[in-house]
Amino acid sequence: MLDRFLVFITLLSLVNLAGAQGARVPAEAVDAFHAALRAKNTAGALSLLDRGLVVFEFGVVDPTVEAYAFRHLPFDMDMAVAAQWKLETRRVGGEGNERWVLSSYRVTGKQPDGTPIDMTTLETAIVRRSGDLFRIVHLHWSTNDASFQARAQRQRAQEPAR
Amino acid sequence: MGRALVAALSACLVGSALAGHDDVRVDPALKRYAGMVVALGAPDAEGRIYSFQAKRLPEAPGYMPKELRGWRLTMLAGKRFAAVFEVQDNSETEITVNRVDGPLNGVAVKDLFVIEEIAVAR
Repeated sequence: MLDRFLVFITLLSLVNLAGAQGARVPAEAVDAFHAALRAKNTAGALSLLDRGLVVFEFGVVDPTVEAYAFRHLPFDMDMAVAAQWKLETRRVGGEGNERWVLSSYRVTGKQPDGTPIDMTTLETAIVRRSGDLFRIVHLHWSTNDASFQARAQRQRAQEPAR
Repeated sequence: MGRALVAALSACLVGSALAGHDDVRVDPALKRYAGMVVALGAPDAEGRIYSFQAKRLPEAPGYMPKELRGWRLTMLAGKRFAAVFEVQDNSETEITVNRVDGPLNGVAVKDLFVIEEIAVAR
């Protein structure tokens, strides 16, 4: 009974955070970001990102928050909606206004052609406090799926130099 | 937004179709169009702006007139980063927003946005 209550409270807080402008607790910034993506709340997700954001995603760099918002956030929203992200492990550290949140997720689902999605995604998030609220200033995602990683890196190698 | 960022974004769009999660194929969560502001509309008597001229990114034919009515517009860059508006009407190149969300003032030429087929949560 207590477990159900705690789950309910957690879900309730994430629903509220999905429209948040930041979070008072470092890990909440990360969870609220994922919740906003899953809720298709673009502005809510953006509000949890520091304007100095840099994203490393499977060997690809989004050097600015604008680049990430324009180039990859829509796909991350699609992925968040299409697949289930189950938090498996988490460590939180750092001090002062800079903290880190290390998370691993089991990501499962199906692609439109029926191909299963089943992989572990590792996430490093650095969050920065501005005023009373933490926002994400760096994200780094990688996966244990070697073929997925290879495909992404091959694609990266085919990109023109810039 | 500076020219360097526009150039970088254009290079990204030309050079990369798949990256990160993009390599896993999933259905789009929303129908959406991204674009760039190319000119601001004329202000009203109080100086408030509710429309702008836009072009789609990546390059594509103009918007279907009236298709975007009621869709959610979110700014992805500039002073109004993360600001949300409801599209009241559109032509192939012009977007007009609903006054209920306030004016577009602060939006600038070259700012990026996304328009998504979902109602604004109020």
